[in-house]
Amino acid sequence: MAVKIRLKRMGQKKAPFYRIVVSDSRSPRDGKFIEEIGTYDPTKNPSAIKVNEELAKKWLSVGAQPTDVVGKIFKTAGIEK
Amino acid sequence: MPEIKKDIEAVKKKHLTASWDCYMIAEVMAMERIAEQALLYDFYGELLTSHQKQIYEDIVLNDLSLSEIAEDQGISRQGVHDLVKRCNKILADYENKLHLVEKFLSTKEKVNRINLLIKEYRTVEKEELIAQIEQISNEILEEL
Repeated sequence: MAVKIRLKRMGQKKAPFYRIVVSDSRSPRDGKFIEEIGTYDPTKNPSAIKVNEELAKKWLSVGAQPTDVVGKIFKTAGIEK
Repeated sequence: MPEIKKDIEAVKKKHLTASWDCYMIAEVMAMERIAEQALLYDFYGELLTSHQKQIYEDIVLNDLSLSEIAEDQGISRQGVHDLVKRCNKILADYENKLHLVEKFLSTKEKVNRINLLIKEYRTVEKEELIAQIEQISNEILEEL
């Protein structure tokens, strides 16, 4: 069972705001997720990134796959495996 | 002009967070790309067909990968890729003709500035602040 770290869009129309969540790759669209590990708010300038580093590292170490965008967010936030 | 200086600082901060590397700038811009797509979708999404909408939503709102969507919809990965690319182009074309997102962002930024000036006025009642507010609100009216 593959576990993914991806963004999940929240917030109203015209005000995008994302949660960074850990979810099972097989239940992508039903909105279920295992754990929320951070947020990404591109409406702020500079974009506000909040990541729980401990949880992110924990999930990366057990093989959770971040999506492209999440990988980039981690990189900007200075989180490596 | 402290105002302008602050703006430059903000731009630097937004795009040069971790290092001054061009590489990093590209990374940040790729990251912001999803937010840009989301805004375009919010404004013009209703103009896509329901099939296009469904797949574009999966990419932009749920951050699914091409292969996940392909498996889900029973079409090829290449097919999803082409569709997303076409949607990007359709939405960008609308923006080029209508400029709704551009106007929205510009108005939002100006209103934020007015709010800041009002806050400042509450602490120091300087007449020039009112003049600045007037100027910005006139700018907004001109752009409408």
